[in-house]
Amino acid sequence: MRPLLILSTALMLVGISWALLVAPTEVLQGLPQRIMYIHVPVVITAYLAIGVVFIGSVLFLWKKDARWDRLAHASAELAVLFISMTLISGAIWGKPVWGTWWTWDARLTTTLILWFIYVGYLVVRAWAPGGRGARAAAVIGIVGALDIPLIHWSAILLRTLHPQPTVFRAEGPLLPASMLPPLLISEAAFLLMFAALLVLRVRQERTLSRLIESLEGA
Amino acid sequence: MRSVWLLATKDLRLEWRTREIVTTMGLLAFLLVIVLGAARSDPESAPGAMWVTYAFAATLGFARTFALERDHLTALRLAPVDRGSVFLAKAMANWLMLVVVQIVSLPLFGALFTEAVWTRLPLLALPIALGGIGLSAVGTLFGGLIVQARLREALLPLLMLPVTLPLLIAAVSATSAILDGMPLSAVGAQLQLLGAFDILFLTVSWLLFDFVLEE
Repeated sequence: MRPLLILSTALMLVGISWALLVAPTEVLQGLPQRIMYIHVPVVITAYLAIGVVFIGSVLFLWKKDARWDRLAHASAELAVLFISMTLISGAIWGKPVWGTWWTWDARLTTTLILWFIYVGYLVVRAWAPGGRGARAAAVIGIVGALDIPLIHWSAILLRTLHPQPTVFRAEGPLLPASMLPPLLISEAAFLLMFAALLVLRVRQERTLSRLIESLEGA
Repeated sequence: MRSVWLLATKDLRLEWRTREIVTTMGLLAFLLVIVLGAARSDPESAPGAMWVTYAFAATLGFARTFALERDHLTALRLAPVDRGSVFLAKAMANWLMLVVVQIVSLPLFGALFTEAVWTRLPLLALPIALGGIGLSAVGTLFGGLIVQARLREALLPLLMLPVTLPLLIAAVSATSAILDGMPLSAVGAQLQLLGAFDILFLTVSWLLFDFVLEE
């Protein structure tokens, strides 16, 4: 875990310096556009976290192994963290560029609703502890991920303002080549940070459950 | 299928004899229509008010239906039917109770918000029915999930409202277009979304209900 954390911090410093000092300033948006180097990596990491919650939840219900539940739980906490960072960095970017902190755009609405779903996941765990809470949370982890396309579809009914993807497209990146390296470095940094925190939380939960077991045994 | 029907009629008979849940849901719906209507009662506010009312009535009622079962969950677990049937029976009973509340509150929307509720009734029945089915599917799944949790009544809306938001958005949008006098073809996308939501959540809940009732 420690090497992951060190590597992530180092890459984050490189990515941020590159994004702030080397990368070109966008013509229309100016300096606020540099928030992209945080916003985009963070949102991708958030969706990865949601995917890990889904996989952990399915495997927990299927295999009944508490390890999968610990993985899903740790990832759900990180999902809430990274979704929060997405919403905050997006609002800070939206204010100077769109003239508003918030708008009922499809992507924004979807992200906000996901925040509520995964906060609900954590609340269920807090209010229904033990095996029952774990199973309830797993069902929410599955339902939450399956709900994403429907949330997005419904939010499109509400109209859209957010730009379309510019990097991960079938036709190749639309983003200028000079903006790509700091974005990818920053992306790698956040993914490594996610991995490090995930390992840390899973280990903590494992220690906790061992402690409880040994106390019950004594 | 027979066992689904038997279990559902058991719940409905219980409800018919006490009338606890439908009365509470109905009164809350009545109160919400009045509160929302006092705040704004122009025709444009009707669809939003309608679905806020239905969603809150549903979260209140659906938290109760499993509570009835709380002391008898073992009996339900031991019943010689598969858990998917238990889900379908509960969801059906919940939906029928919600439908009663929906029908009873329609005259209020007609009186307070817009006359169009009456002239557009046949078309309006589509989003009301499809939306009610989805609310019941999700409400039954989560209601069963948290039956033994602390603060169950507070937890259900926290879980149910975000997950059903796509359904509520589509239902509000369809209701609003229909009340504005648009033809059926104008709400095709919304009705498709409602149908997709219903199918997805009925199937997923039916599959996952095994784990919900597990000891």
